[in-house]
Order: sequence, then structure tokens, then C-alpha cells
Amino acid sequence: MSQLGFLVGVVIPYLAGFIFVIGVLYRIFQWSRSAVPFNITTTSGQQYSLPFLRRTFMDRFDSPYTRWETAVRVLMEIFLFRSLWKNVRYELPAQNAVSTKWLWLFGLVFHWSLLIVLIRHFRFFLQPVPDFVNMIQSLDGFIEVHLGWFQPHVVHIMVTGLTLLIALLYLLYRRIAFPKERTFSLPSDYIALFLLLGVVITGLLMRYVIPVDVAHIKELAQGLLAFRPPASPELHWMFMLHILFVSALLAYFPFSKLMHSAGIFFSPTRNMPNNPRAKRHINPWNYPVKGVDYDEFYENFKDDLDEIEQMGYVVKPEEV
Amino acid sequence: MSEQKFEDLEKFEIRQQFSNWKELLKPTTEMRKGYYSYAALLRDQEYLGLPYPREWNTLDEDWKLPPNWKEIIINKMDELRRKYRSFQVFMDICVRCGACADKCHYYIGTGDPKNMPVVRAELLRSIYRKYFTTSGKVFGEYAGARELTEDVIKEWFLYYFQCSECRRCSVFCPYGIDTAEITMLARELLNSIGISQRFTLISAAACVRTGNHLGLNPGGVVNSIQYAVDDIKEITGIDIEVPVNKKGAEILFVTPSGDYFAQPHWFTFIGYLMVFHELGLDYTMSTYAAEGGNFGFFHSFEVAKKINQKIYKEAKRLGVKWILGGECGHMWRIKHQYMATFADDTYEDALKVLEDPVNPVTGTVFENASSTKMVHVLEFLADVLKHKKLKIDKSRNDHLRVTHHDSCNIARGMGLLEEPRFVIKSVCNYYYDMPDHAIREKSYCCGSGAGLLADELFELRMRGGMPRAMAVKYVHEKYGVNHVTAACAIDRAAIPTLLQYWKLPVQMGGVTELVANAMVMSGEKERDTDLRGNPLGEYLEVEV
Repeated sequence: MSQLGFLVGVVIPYLAGFIFVIGVLYRIFQWSRSAVPFNITTTSGQQYSLPFLRRTFMDRFDSPYTRWETAVRVLMEIFLFRSLWKNVRYELPAQNAVSTKWLWLFGLVFHWSLLIVLIRHFRFFLQPVPDFVNMIQSLDGFIEVHLGWFQPHVVHIMVTGLTLLIALLYLLYRRIAFPKERTFSLPSDYIALFLLLGVVITGLLMRYVIPVDVAHIKELAQGLLAFRPPASPELHWMFMLHILFVSALLAYFPFSKLMHSAGIFFSPTRNMPNNPRAKRHINPWNYPVKGVDYDEFYENFKDDLDEIEQMGYVVKPEEV
Repeated sequence: MSEQKFEDLEKFEIRQQFSNWKELLKPTTEMRKGYYSYAALLRDQEYLGLPYPREWNTLDEDWKLPPNWKEIIINKMDELRRKYRSFQVFMDICVRCGACADKCHYYIGTGDPKNMPVVRAELLRSIYRKYFTTSGKVFGEYAGARELTEDVIKEWFLYYFQCSECRRCSVFCPYGIDTAEITMLARELLNSIGISQRFTLISAAACVRTGNHLGLNPGGVVNSIQYAVDDIKEITGIDIEVPVNKKGAEILFVTPSGDYFAQPHWFTFIGYLMVFHELGLDYTMSTYAAEGGNFGFFHSFEVAKKINQKIYKEAKRLGVKWILGGECGHMWRIKHQYMATFADDTYEDALKVLEDPVNPVTGTVFENASSTKMVHVLEFLADVLKHKKLKIDKSRNDHLRVTHHDSCNIARGMGLLEEPRFVIKSVCNYYYDMPDHAIREKSYCCGSGAGLLADELFELRMRGGMPRAMAVKYVHEKYGVNHVTAACAIDRAAIPTLLQYWKLPVQMGGVTELVANAMVMSGEKERDTDLRGNPLGEYLEVEV
């Protein structure tokens, strides 16, 4: 048992963590070595031009002119899913296109829940547990349930754990139930969802149904983080399942679309200010291409051009 | 794919059209009439010095690809992912959330799942996975990867010329993945093995040779201007003079060449000339840089650069202080985001004469154009109208109920949204916006941008323009709108046909046309018609 514990609790997580870190760094390196030849901002609002034209507060970030406006745009994309918020669905008759926020809502709920759940997990790794982790923990667990028949003590329901599950199920549901989404979904889209569902479900089971020894887990987590892992950890099978799902997810991460979490920072249509007419963007690999210059043009159309010269370079109405 | 009839719209539903992703990955190569583009002419390929020039036909089985075409594509792809971070990142990070799926007007109009932006990108992404990612190499189609075959090339040619690079999907994408960028790079890949579309290349080659897409000789341009000043004299009784190729003028005026004689561009063109005359502007037009647009942009980096260089070269030769640009869509995407970057030493050279743009009529400094030195005519006109430098009689537009179509490129590649509205409201009493999801950054494309104005794509264009047409229909029924404005030459070519096709009694034109219509010129004769000869005053009934 302890050998299995070492494999699942130490070897596999380290391996997965290694693949994750190296893989993500490599992908980021790949992106950053690729050039940005043009400023191709997608403008989703009024440009900065004349002072008397209406440019709303949101226009400043949807069509940013300065560097900090651009930074706010990227942050709004990350924390508020600004572009998804704009989502509309085309329906017939056309004028009834409806604003649809379901994808935005569940996408946002999923990502925020995941972030909070991750922060809550800090308490396994850090000793003493930082205050902000405790604070988030207590805010998240404001619902207390006393289930005498089920567990002999008060259970704090962690809201984000449940919203995470619900959001994931919705994201899976729409891929299966909506014809458009079913058409373009690839196996990799389902793999990501199943891995995440595996992590979340095993986590929830451990919290609410099959209690595991948290002290042991904490010891292991802190040992892993300090690179002094226990030699033969005794691990509950449910926890091993959880850690296997997490490791699979981590190892899968750099090879998959999950890289979008880093990619958003590199997206040229979002991270560049809409100011190319005020500040010239330089293409690092620009090279000259020969076109037709004026002398060649003049040779080709000598008669026409000479005639324009004879007209004194001006066109006037014909005398009737 | 099952066709749904127009009468069945009430029962309209979205169905899954591929049973699983493996089916979706199989190349669609059925060339249906109205959806595929013609192959480029040998003449144009040779003139532009493109790789592997040859005669070939879209409908042929054999596209006569060079023997090592596969290697060329893979190498080019490797090159592009190093050259364009957008390409590398957009290939890697799509999560297929589907926010973009129903944002494409071609998907809405055709119901073809391969027109969903996410799937359009997958056509390329599946190949990228196969040759550049570990998971694609190992797991093949289970990782959404597929082999590069000739059928894939055919599918690319079919679907990357069913994208008008309008960027609507990019607005809704949580990571800003821009299908326009993907389409451009896919076309770059196709070009590397000698596959180009006929329509774009005809225009691009003409532009390199003559200075404009229509292939007008300098004499032809002058003739057009001649007709314009004659028309203006007939309408207003005023003799105006238009400087052409004049050295030492303050401003170089560049407009898309469609304005020189197409309908209804023409009224915008004479509009510019009337307004500039009335303001007493010291400007010149040019026959060398007679074109604002750039169809090379729809083809490849190199052809785009061939065309792009003319404006700065001409500005230097004529010694102008700054450049004013007419109403055009993709032209302004390029002027705003690409022109100065494309230009290498021609930009530095032009800086010897160019100065920061200052409106000579109002003294306003166009701070946002301080590097490129190029100002949009609607920015200029908004400034002029704000300072009341033109005498405007709004009632001259009272026969019109106006709505504005935001052209994709200037809405999503520039952010010029309020300028046209300010200008229109300054010269019209009756202005109504279309519903929110159809204007501003959410604007629907006319369906004919990025080289899709080709006649052979007629059905695709009319279907792709359907959402726009329906939005116009809505304001027509609700407010009696009978005039759509758009600051884009492609729109002015595409939308009249679109409105006719969808049976809407609405006319369309440029924004400056309305300004010229309402402008009271000093010394003008009594006017009882607008620039088009429609009687003033009474509500205009447009014939379907």
C-alpha cells in the first residue's frame, strides 16, 4: 500500500507538475518568439479621434487608445469575459436577435469558482494558512448545514465547489444538446471536461460523503511543495483518485486548448492599443517589394500624363 | 445538405449536419454554382510575378499543383507561424466555445457548418495539428488532425473565399481570435502553390499597372473628373476646378477608384468635389495614386505591398503636407492598421515633406493621425460641420429617411462609428439606426468584401447579405427608411443589388453625398432636385 502511495502521491504528481511547468513555459516561449508584424486590434467601440464625438466610458476599453486602457481591456476580458457579454443569437425574423448570456454566465461561474477553489486549496500547502485563504474559506462556506443522520457534525457547504460542478455540467450539456456545438466539438473538448469533472467530483465526494484524513493530506502536500516528500504516505483511495485526475489534467494542459489561459495575454487583437495612425508599428521582418514607381508609370502613360500637364494640372468644366 | 425554402422560415431550425467530428474533418470539395470562385488568369499571375503561374480551372479534377506542393505548404506554414504571432496563438488557443458560430453572415445565410468561424479555422487548424503539434502527430484524427491532401487544398479555396474578412466573429470571441487573419494567412498559403482567385487578381494587377483597380489610364481618370465637374455645373450652375497631379498642393486626396464612375458611388464622388470647392481646399488628386483600396490585401503580403507604396511615393513627389482619404472600407483598415507598417523607406522618405495633419478650415490638429498623416474624409467633415464652416440646409434631405450601415473594416478595424453618425445628423432631419445587433461593432457585412464581389459568387453574396437586408427591412417597415448610407465602395457596389434581391424599396449611397446635397453653395442656382435628380421635399418612393 505504501509503495502505491508513493507512486500516486509523489512520483505521479511530480511528473505531472514537471510536464506542466516545462510544457507551459515552452508554449509561451513559442508564442513570444513569433513576431507581431501588424497592429491588428479588433475595435469594438468608438475610436479616439475628435473631442466632440461621443466616446463612452466602455468605448475607451473596447477601442483603447492608451496603454493602460489596453491593459484594462485585457483584464476585463479575463475577469469579466467582456467579449462573451456582447453575445447575441441570430433568430428569424432578424430584428429579434436576442441577447444571450448563458455561455457568459456559466463560463464566468466556472472560471471564478475554479479560481476560488484553487485558492482554498492553499490551506493544504501553506502552514500557517494565510489570512486571505481563511477569509475566502469562511465567505465561501457561509452556508452551514447540520446533517445529523449523514455526518455527525456541522457541514459548511462550500458554494464554489457546487457551482463549479453545475457550471461544468452545463458546459458539457451544451456540447451534447445543441446541434451547432455538437457539430464542431472534438474529442479533446470532452477530454478537458471529463478530467475537470473527475477532479471536481472526487473532491466533492471527499468533502461531503467519504471523509478522508486531512492531516495526512496536508503533510503530503507540504512535503511535496518543500521537495521533502514522505517516503511511504498512507493515502485514502478516494484521495488517490483525486490526485490522479489532477495529475492527468496538469500533464494534459500544455498540449491542449487549456493553454487559452496563457494565450489570452498574447492575442494581438486584444492586447494592442488602437493607435496605429498615431504611433507607427514596426514589422520586424518587413522587406522591400518592388512595385511600379513613378518613372515607370510615366513611361507607360506618357501621352496621358503630358496632356494633364498641358491642362495645367487642373480639370475644368467644358465650355458649352 | 437539405435546402430550406423561404416560406418555411417560420419552421426554421438548426440541425446537426455532420454526424461526428470525423465527418466534419473530411474535405468538402463539391463546387456548387454561386459558391466557388474562378481560378486566376495566367496573364495576371505572370504580371504580378506569382509562384507557379499556370492556367487551371476550379471545376477540373487536376489543379496542376507543383510536384512538391505539400512540402511547400508545410514549409510556408512553418514560416507563417514564426512571422505571425496571431497565427500561432489562434491555432493553439481556440476552445470551441461556439460564441462565434452564428456570428458569420455566411453561416446565417447558407446554414453550411463549414461557414461557422470556428469550423472555418478548423479547416486550417486540423492541418496545423497534424504537422506541428505532438497530440496531432500521435493521435491523428482523435486529436482533430487530418492529412494534407489535394482535397484539403480545394476545400480551402472554396471556404477561404467564402469569408469576407469582416471580423465580426472576432468581436465576440473571448480570446479575440480573428478569422480575417486566418483567412488572410490561408490565402497566403494557397498563393504559395499558385492558387489565386480571378477577381482579386484582375483588380490587383490593374492597380499595380495603372494605379487603380478599374484599370483606367490617367486619361480615363481625368475624363471621369471631367464628367464630374460637368455634372456639378449642371446641378449647381457653378464652375469648379479640380487639381490633378498638382505639385505643391497642401493635401493629397485619395479615394477608391469605384468612385470614378460606378453607381451610386458617383454621387459621393461629386459630393467630395463640391465640398472641397466650397471650402476652398488646396488639394490635388493623383493619377499615379488614384486608388485608395488595395485588392492585394486580399491576396498576399507582397501584392499588398506593391500597391500600398504608391500613396507615400506620390505624396513625396507632389510635396503635399498630408493625405485625405475618401469613403472606403478595407482601404481604411489598411490605411489605419497597415499602411505605415507596410511602407519601409518610402514612409521615411515621405516624412521629408509630410507634416502633422491640420484642418486648414478649422485649425483642428488630427492628433490621432500624427504618424500616418492620413485623415478620413468623415473625420475631416465632422470637424468642418462641428465648426459650422459649411452652410447647410437640412431640409434638402427631407425626402429621405436615412439609416447607416457600418462597414466592417472601418467599424472593427478602425473604430470609426460616431463620425458618420455625426455627419449624417448634421445634414439630415430624419436618421434612424438599425437594431443594435446589426450596427456599430456588431455590424453585419454586406456579404461582398475581401474579393467576394465576384459575379460567380452571386448566390453566396445574396445569402451572406441577408442579415443586413433584413435589418434594413426592419427600419424600412418601422420608420419608412428609404436611404442607406455606407462609407465603403464595396458596400455601394453590393448593397443596391442586395436590396433589389430582397425586394426592399430602399436606395443607398455614400455619406458625403448627403452633405453635398444639403450644402448651400455660394453662387448656386435654385435647386429643386437632389444630386440624383430626385425631387426635393416630398418623401421619396423608391421603386423596387
